[in-house]
Amino acid sequence: MKPDTRRDPAAGDGRTDHELVYAARDGDTIAFDALFYRYRDGIFRLGLAITKDPSAAEEIVVDTFARAHRALARLEPDDSLRPWLYRVAVNLSYNRRPRKGVVLSSLDEAADVAFENDEGSPSHVAEQAELRRLVLGAVDELGPKHRLVVVLHYMNGLNLTEIAEVVDCPVGTVKSRLHYALRRLRTHLAAHPELGIEPSRPIIANQLRAPKPITASVPFEGE
Amino acid sequence: MRLFSRSCEFRQAAYLVSADRLNAGERIALEAHAASCVQCADALRNGRSVDAALRGAFSPLRERRTMIAPGRVRLAVGPRSPSTNPWLRAPRFFGRLAEVSVMIGVTLFAVGATLDPSARQSTSTATHSVVQGNLRGQPPVGDIDYLRWIRLNKPDDSPAVSDQTRLPMGGRFDGDPVEIQKAPGAVPR
Repeated sequence: MKPDTRRDPAAGDGRTDHELVYAARDGDTIAFDALFYRYRDGIFRLGLAITKDPSAAEEIVVDTFARAHRALARLEPDDSLRPWLYRVAVNLSYNRRPRKGVVLSSLDEAADVAFENDEGSPSHVAEQAELRRLVLGAVDELGPKHRLVVVLHYMNGLNLTEIAEVVDCPVGTVKSRLHYALRRLRTHLAAHPELGIEPSRPIIANQLRAPKPITASVPFEGE
Repeated sequence: MRLFSRSCEFRQAAYLVSADRLNAGERIALEAHAASCVQCADALRNGRSVDAALRGAFSPLRERRTMIAPGRVRLAVGPRSPSTNPWLRAPRFFGRLAEVSVMIGVTLFAVGATLDPSARQSTSTATHSVVQGNLRGQPPVGDIDYLRWIRLNKPDDSPAVSDQTRLPMGGRFDGDPVEIQKAPGAVPR
């Protein structure tokens, strides 16, 4: 993985996660700091997406790396430590139930904070913000498993194999969940023509008998 | 039990064409199939639209950062060393052991020095009669009691003692004093 050197000097460490873990195991605090700077933002965003609470997301970052520090002797990352860290963060996030009486912000409110410095005409900015709110509102309506897959892929940039490691299930299950989530989102977002998404059309028998039909029974996952 | 919809098996792949890492051959095969399958063409087209909408919506969130410093992790972990080699911890262990031994020794010495030797001896004589000690300590006021006190404190070196039940009453003896032999086997009359 390429480190992000734009803001964190410690992230400029060119060593791989494997080398950093072994160095940290020998007491090299700079190596552990480099791992921290490399993954803290991703874990923060993941915790924020699940808990929707920035302070809880920061605590999740600290707890995740504290666990990693305790587990240094047992960690054996082949290439990247990211799936292991994200799995710990997901578990910590789900364990951290929202307290009663706490008003949680949704994903689109978090995005508004990040878009405050957006450039362009006010109408364009408002239009983009509205579209973003629509999409993130639809994501919020997904079930927790499907939303997690969407967040891990579109916000944290994990590929399907990494997501399978994080959520501890086969890649086929991840594909099925993402497929289901995209179809649900399409159904939700088709009501807004400005997004350019067509509504789902019912399957017509004649279409199934089109030239060269490839038909089979596909299990429909609808949790 | 869920219903099993009858649909093309490539439809899932068509939705996930952007998310899944298809190689060039798989992608060409999928697009060739979509040219002849209405469902897959629809899924491919709208799947890309949904994918683009999601990427656009999540792009500002991807820039969201936190300013937590690694010191917070070190605080949460505590002062424990990450090294697990026991030989590296041996000098610290023996150092601690020496410190604790010296501390215990000094404490025992200080406690032992504060104990009074007379107090330690008094514990060995604590089995003696308290009344006797009291009587020996202070002379009584009355004459009879004074005589008794003198007799009690007199060193008993004679082989015979007087019968204490026949002490003088009112300045004269009420009878002949009886000598009791302190020999073994002697019995009082």
